[in-house]
Amino acid sequence: MRLPRLPLMIGPVAVLALGACAGAPSPGGGATAQPSAGATPVTVTNCGRKVTVSTPPRKAVTMNQGATEVALALGLEKQMVGTAYLDDKVPAVWQAAYSSVPVLAEKYPTKEKFLAAGPDFAYASYESAFSAKGVGERAELAKEGVNTYLSPFGCTEQGHAKGKVTFEKVWGEVADVARIFGVPERAQKLADTQKNQLETLKKASAGRGTRVFWFDSGDTTAFAGGGAGGPQLILDAVGATNVFADIDKGWADMPWEKVVAADPQVIVLADASWSTAASKIAHLEGDPVLKNLAAVKAKRYVTIPFSESTPGVRLVDGATHVAEQIAKLPTS
Amino acid sequence: MSGRAAWAVGAGLVLALVAGIVVVLGVGSVGVPTGEVVAVVARRLRLIDGEGVTVLADRIVWDLRMPRAIGAAAVGACLALCGVVLQSLTRNELADPYLLGLSSGAAVGAVAAIVFGVTLTGLTQGAVVAVCAFAGALAALVLVLALATGRSGQLPPGRTILAGVAVGQLCGAFTSLAIMVFGERDVARQVLAWTLGSFGGIRWGAAALLAALALVATLALVWCARALDAFAFGEVSARSLGVDVDRMRWGLLVGCALITAGTVAAVGPIGFVGLTVPHIVRLIVGPGHAALLPLSGLAGAVLLLLADTAARSLASSEIPVGVVTAAIGAPVLVVLLRRQAGRS
Repeated sequence: MRLPRLPLMIGPVAVLALGACAGAPSPGGGATAQPSAGATPVTVTNCGRKVTVSTPPRKAVTMNQGATEVALALGLEKQMVGTAYLDDKVPAVWQAAYSSVPVLAEKYPTKEKFLAAGPDFAYASYESAFSAKGVGERAELAKEGVNTYLSPFGCTEQGHAKGKVTFEKVWGEVADVARIFGVPERAQKLADTQKNQLETLKKASAGRGTRVFWFDSGDTTAFAGGGAGGPQLILDAVGATNVFADIDKGWADMPWEKVVAADPQVIVLADASWSTAASKIAHLEGDPVLKNLAAVKAKRYVTIPFSESTPGVRLVDGATHVAEQIAKLPTS
Repeated sequence: MSGRAAWAVGAGLVLALVAGIVVVLGVGSVGVPTGEVVAVVARRLRLIDGEGVTVLADRIVWDLRMPRAIGAAAVGACLALCGVVLQSLTRNELADPYLLGLSSGAAVGAVAAIVFGVTLTGLTQGAVVAVCAFAGALAALVLVLALATGRSGQLPPGRTILAGVAVGQLCGAFTSLAIMVFGERDVARQVLAWTLGSFGGIRWGAAALLAALALVATLALVWCARALDAFAFGEVSARSLGVDVDRMRWGLLVGCALITAGTVAAVGPIGFVGLTVPHIVRLIVGPGHAALLPLSGLAGAVLLLLADTAARSLASSEIPVGVVTAAIGAPVLVVLLRRQAGRS
């Protein structure tokens, strides 16, 4: 048995050849922005990383709906060069701003497309954005001169987001991003407006005394809103009771018999392109057991867009819409 | 097929591979003009000064596309070689490199790393997943071998395959449990992305390791070509031809498992290459392993190189590479099978 000689010779030669390659080219003149006089660097601790930005980013890329909406809410569209991975349509109030920024991809862009946009900052809601399947890990992007920010709701520790979702955390994220972009006053304004909205909702307490089942998606089981995420926050804001408030996750798969046992008075349906409210209603009314639920018989449904139920700047709008619809429901 | 014809096919495949790597550097989701691609490579090889080469073009062509091309070719070669060896060893035409529960074991490791947020100091998240996937694959291998080995130390092919199926099912159950019960919403997507395989995370470090793995695999397995030919006639004939059946079988199985575990750890499981490339090449050059092994390696390298290029260029997001390998390989196999059926 002779060892093939040719591959044996090629191997070491190739290795030596690779070692003799040149390094990366130096960036051409004008490729890096010079810090303007008087700009102070901003440092934010985000998901265990220190993010230091010497000047407000001018070419930001946002990925995932939550991050894109925070950026639009802060009016940062002129400092953005790309968006990606939207779940739902953007609310009408931001539609013009959103259209003014190029969409890099429907899901995560390839790293090539991301780099070609020439970004200096990347902001995403989910960890998967900063993985090999997304646009690369945060350490790698930092080496390439791209600062990154990951929504605290997307930081996972032991695979779970830390702690419950609260409005303070939402406003904290908005404040972080605003500080990075040098517009902290806009974050304050947003938080104040939302606090007022919440006050109004609390006074009206449209959902007081109502047991609500938050139906996100699913057919063989119910993917229901639990006690630690956006759905719970909305239901708390309108004063309603979540039948699955004891579940320690944002959403969880619940067997239907638990839904039947809980006997909700109102069913909130999250409307998403992958699971429309209409399909959920059809499922509920077509199922021989579920159609006997009191809420289904009386058609006490509330529908809100899915993106108003995930932790972000639209939660308060979601709460407002839920309150409006509950108030209009026929009493059971 | 005559020796000279086999050499001709081999030379053709080598040419296709080299040309493929060159062409593929210019293809991607971002258009880089051919002149710039050539300039980037020439500058890196110290052939020209390359003053006008931009950082972006250099990053895209040299830091992203080149390692992927090399990694894809290396993994394709490894998978095809292991496919040939396992099909010959188990004398089962449907054997593929992931036979011994390797892909399911690796999935357990990767899922555990992703769902339970494992971190290891000094390693990136991607490297942590790779290490856990490798550990999972090895654990599955040990379990399969322990289940399949007889008291006399023999490893009958039938029992080995069944043990692989059993371990695969067990691992699949754990994976589903981890995703559905313990994972949050985004985690399921991350795990699914891993199980479909991708070269997106391959940079120069991983590419160099994969190239070394492919080189070692080629040398080691081609060295065993005569023994594998003997296996084709059954154990008794192989023994009478002077082959140490038990040691060869153990060595080849474990060797292929380690090679495959290495590729799965780096890029996830990529189906179809290890299963069909051996068949396609066998239809062209016949069953003699001296020609079948190296030519399968080359064919696998070319196939996966083209598949990965398609996966990263056809849309602005990446398509899973396993989808593309199936889409390319299945029609080719059908054509060859029809031609063979027409002849007999």
